[in-house]
Amino acid sequence: MTEAARQLLEDCGVDQERLALEWASAAEAPRFVELITGYVSSIKEKGPLGAAAGEIPREEMKRRLSAAVKAAEARKPRTLLGNLAKKLAKSGDYSPEAISKGVSQKVLPAMRSERIAVEARMILEEGPVDIDSLCKGTGASAQELEKIMAPLEKKGIVSRKKNKFSLAGRK
Amino acid sequence: MAEVNAALKENEMTQEGFDPKILGFFCHWCCYAAADSAGVSRYQYPPNVRVIRVMCTGRIDARFVIEAFRCGADGVFTGG
Repeated sequence: MTEAARQLLEDCGVDQERLALEWASAAEAPRFVELITGYVSSIKEKGPLGAAAGEIPREEMKRRLSAAVKAAEARKPRTLLGNLAKKLAKSGDYSPEAISKGVSQKVLPAMRSERIAVEARMILEEGPVDIDSLCKGTGASAQELEKIMAPLEKKGIVSRKKNKFSLAGRK
Repeated sequence: MAEVNAALKENEMTQEGFDPKILGFFCHWCCYAAADSAGVSRYQYPPNVRVIRVMCTGRIDARFVIEAFRCGADGVFTGG
C-alpha cells in the first residue's frame, strides 16, 4: 500500500520522501522521539509542499492530487493491487525491490491512466482545450493522452472538433 | 477521510514562517503508545505532528495519504 501511495505521489509531482513509514513498539519511546525529530527536520529542510526539488507548483499539484484520490479509489487499480498482494504472498518474496517492481509494473500504469483521465476531465470542465495544453496540464505524453481520450470519446463523454477537446453537451 | 480533512484544516491561519504540517497515522498498539509514553517520560519532540490514531497500520489506505497531501500536509508519517 505504501509503495502504491508513494509511486502515485511521485506521479503527482510530490517528493516521495515526504511519506514515511516507520516502526516503533510501545516500549520504544526514545526511538519514536528520534524518528519523529529526524523526520520533522528532514521536512523542514525540504520546505513546504511544492518547494522541494522536482516538485510542481502547488495549484497544479492540488488538482493533480484531487484526481489521484479518485484514481486511488477506482476499482481497477485496487483490484490490481489486491492481485499483486496475492501474488506476493504466494511467492513469499516481500523484499522492497519485489514490491516496488510489482507496483510499478502492475499497479502504477492503471493508477496513472485513471488519474490522467480524471484530471483531463477536470481541465475540460473549464472549457475546451487542444491536446498540447492537456498534455501540459496532466503531465502526460500526447501518445498516452490519445490512448486515454479515445475510450472517453467513444463513450460520448468527450467530443473532439478541429483538434480541440471539450466535454460533451457543452459549447 | 473526513478526519484527515479536519486534522489539517484547523491551523490553516497560522502560516507564519515555515512550520511544516505533518500528519501522523499512528497504530493504537505501537506508535501511539510509544508517543504516549514519550510524553509521560517527558521526552521532547517537535509539535508539528497531528495525529490520527488507527487501530492498525493496515487500516491506512493510499487514498488517505493522498488526501492528506491534497489538504496541504507537508509530510505524512506512518508509525506502526
